[in-house]
Amino acid sequence: MTRPPIEVEHVSKEFGKFRALDDVSLQVPRGSVLGLLGHNGAGKTTLVNILSTLSPPTRGTARVAGHDVVRESRSVCSRIGLTGQFAAVDEQLSGMDNLVLVARLLGAGKRAAKNRAEELLELFELTEAAKRPARNYSGGMRRRLDLAASLVGHPDVIFLDEPTTGLDPSSRMGLWRIVENLVGDGTTVLLTTQYLDEADRLADSITVLSSGQVVASGTAEELKAEVGQRTATATLADPADAERAVNALSASGMSPVHDAERHVITTPVAASHELAVVVRALDEAGIEVSGLGLGEPTLDDVYLTLANSAHQAA
Amino acid sequence: MTTTLTAPRDRAGGTEHERRHWHGANVWTQITVLTGRSLRAVLRDPRIVVFSLLQPLIMLTLFSQVFGKALMGSIASQTDSYINYLMPAILVTTGIGASLQSGVGLITDMKNGVLGRFRALPIRLGTVLVARSLADLFRTAVQLVVLLLAATVLFGFAPEGGLAGTVSAWLLALLVSWSLTWVFLAIASWVRKEEVMQSVGFLAMFPLMFASSAFVPLDALPGWLRIVARVNPLTYAVDASRDLCLALPVGSGVWSALGTSVLLLVIGAVFAVRGFRRPL
Repeated sequence: MTRPPIEVEHVSKEFGKFRALDDVSLQVPRGSVLGLLGHNGAGKTTLVNILSTLSPPTRGTARVAGHDVVRESRSVCSRIGLTGQFAAVDEQLSGMDNLVLVARLLGAGKRAAKNRAEELLELFELTEAAKRPARNYSGGMRRRLDLAASLVGHPDVIFLDEPTTGLDPSSRMGLWRIVENLVGDGTTVLLTTQYLDEADRLADSITVLSSGQVVASGTAEELKAEVGQRTATATLADPADAERAVNALSASGMSPVHDAERHVITTPVAASHELAVVVRALDEAGIEVSGLGLGEPTLDDVYLTLANSAHQAA
Repeated sequence: MTTTLTAPRDRAGGTEHERRHWHGANVWTQITVLTGRSLRAVLRDPRIVVFSLLQPLIMLTLFSQVFGKALMGSIASQTDSYINYLMPAILVTTGIGASLQSGVGLITDMKNGVLGRFRALPIRLGTVLVARSLADLFRTAVQLVVLLLAATVLFGFAPEGGLAGTVSAWLLALLVSWSLTWVFLAIASWVRKEEVMQSVGFLAMFPLMFASSAFVPLDALPGWLRIVARVNPLTYAVDASRDLCLALPVGSGVWSALGTSVLLLVIGAVFAVRGFRRPL
């Protein structure tokens, strides 16, 4: 199969007058992870719902595992796994019964369903809890069971919609490792997240959504390079100097930003020697600085810069 | 969830050999598996069964004690004990109460999130509803049997129609219940809010129940209420159930009750499936 497992072409989705997605196009190559970043309401879940056949696009086409999500939704369904923001498990049923149920619905015989369930329970370290009703599971266990349920049918493509929201740090790390293993097996993953470290860690490429539009895409490195420069951070000894510091830096051709909460002035610097310009400007203005640093751009910077500029443009 | 998760890499996705796709179970398997799921949920939480029995038991006790003596005169032409008169009605109203609960249960299920998973599986969504209605029908059948036993043992229920009449009345009550289950599933799949569903049910149920021949004969109702009761479909269901139970001459009442039920069932099913398919 040479076609990429996820192909989205000019997809728009409208709910009445509200445009949740606006001409979104993207592709995810086999065995890779696409991180979909965006604020709440940016359209991430809407896109996942369209790709997992839960709701049709208003315009445009999307193909998953080679099948059209509208015309061939059943074929799509048998190839995908979906893990939503809220664990979609039956609270009344045990972990075991939940997985057997999904396997049976997919068409597995009783024996095969049970084998598959046992396999996944072991893999997700739920064997001991297998017989307990899922309502007694902890948040992390529920999420693991949910992910296990979406893997029952050996899916080619997995959608993870904010999979670690509300999980404690060690559960998050565990989930990340599972995802990494899946990708190692050749599974294609589309991951939505608000956590930038998550996208940075897991995603091969990142697409930033804002108000339903793709505002940037590329690898984490490319995005960082696009936003560009490193950032100089000066911590002021006397917060009252803030305005003068901003003026002094602006006068030397920089574009400083004052963070009033932390009493720091940040300003992008194109090259290392510009740090000297910052120091000189502040020194000449007679402003005392208690700390000075040069930071690499983080995904946070990318995200905030892109999403904010798109917000303001809208 | 620490170290061992990294080890069995080939098993999450399956080896190439294992990695054959399941393409969705056939409709029959879908229905049996999903019905089993709903039933198991009920069995795991017996409180549901106990509490849903409590209300009809209380009604049975109250009505038989409160109205029993007062009404003997006006029902004498049909039977010689009020409990015999009351029980066929209790069967029908309990069945309808259970249908309302099906609707509420569907909305709870929608919130639970597991329905979201079903939507992304290669199955026919209608089978989820069929399974739910069947599981609830089974539960209602058991409830009604328990009620009949309680009425027999505690209150001396011994209808003129004997076992055959009682069983036919039981079956009729189940059919009425099943058809209204589909009506309430249809409402639930469009409304999708528990509170609204509860009040729709309450508004529909109470007037229907009391402005009918369920607890008192039509002649004992004031004039205007008698007119309402005469056009109330519940009156026909209750009368039909009573005809069967009390070995009264079975007229067109039973047939119109059957026909109405089947009609409601079909209409309910069409709208339920259509409503349920709408995206969450």
